[in-house]
Amino acid sequence: MILLASASQDDLCHWEQGVRTLSPIFCSTNLESLKVELARLKPSVLLLDYDLPQLNAPGGISALIKLHPEAKVIVLSHSLPDEAEWALFRTGVRGVCRRDIDGEQLQSVVTAVQRGELWIRRTLSWHLLNELVTITQERTKIKQAIGELLANLTQREYEIATLVGNGETNKQIARRLDITERTVKAHLTEVFRKLDIADRLKLALIVKGSIYPGDSSKMSH
Amino acid sequence: MAIADTDAARRAKLEQSLQGGSGIEVLTDVMSDWDDIPADHEPESYKNPVSTEDVVARITQLKPRILFVNLDLSIERECALLEALHRTCPETLVLLLTDKSVQEEQVIQALANGARGCLSHEADPFYFLKAVRVVDRGEIWVTRRMLGKIMDRVLH
Repeated sequence: MILLASASQDDLCHWEQGVRTLSPIFCSTNLESLKVELARLKPSVLLLDYDLPQLNAPGGISALIKLHPEAKVIVLSHSLPDEAEWALFRTGVRGVCRRDIDGEQLQSVVTAVQRGELWIRRTLSWHLLNELVTITQERTKIKQAIGELLANLTQREYEIATLVGNGETNKQIARRLDITERTVKAHLTEVFRKLDIADRLKLALIVKGSIYPGDSSKMSH
Repeated sequence: MAIADTDAARRAKLEQSLQGGSGIEVLTDVMSDWDDIPADHEPESYKNPVSTEDVVARITQLKPRILFVNLDLSIERECALLEALHRTCPETLVLLLTDKSVQEEQVIQALANGARGCLSHEADPFYFLKAVRVVDRGEIWVTRRMLGKIMDRVLH
């Protein structure tokens, strides 16, 4: 199912002509009805007018996506500055094209996006790769830093930290290692001190490589 | 532009594809000093992978704008090479050459380590030239499907 959203009847008719052979079509002409229809119909694709009144893109689009994350959103707009267009993709939009796009071309865009492709201008695609590189570099740094910190643990401490990372309780760890719970607690106190953390949840995240000790804001995506 | 690939036949095909491009000078093999040895006389040892440091040193010296790298070694090794190139020679933009044995995940890893695009050895020669032009002007050369996968990775 494809949901079209625009305050312009002309645009709705034009877009509908382009995609009507692909799937059943439904239309919304204002933001309130769009929110209702998005949650009720759960369309696979949403063709969204960037100029829909009160939408306030990109934040408004992000809120719409949260209503039905499975919908692949394609924004139709006038020509946008690169940064504004890239901001749309950062919200999870899967395609951006001109509002006056030819019907046949619109059909190609929807088909491509349904296949999992991203409809992005080639001149914008470097943003995407740069973000991927930055994220990868950051994760590598975190992994290295965590590796260095965990190397300060004794073999027993590391063993217990890993079991905490697997979600085991002190009781389970004690049983598994054939030691007392008191000993597990003593080892964990030392682990917390060495890693400068206060609780086992953080320890679990560190062991899993999700955060770097001392910077809980660096949660992985 | 330069080509880092130990397979002489593939290098020759790529060179031929790029010869028609105006403003393109192919530096050919950058993985050894044996460029003047005919392909059919290459010693067997030549087919062994050379070290990452050697390739980086050679690229630092030659400073090609575009470097074709064949993605057929272990992915860890390839990523180490790409990361070193990205850090040491940021002015050199890497295009990956792949075949059917290369998995999508390996390509994404290579792109995450600094490669600027990817195309198949079997691509039409027209696309080799086009990819060079596109990457040279700062854009990237991957399929829309791959872009979708990369976006998923960036957002989640």
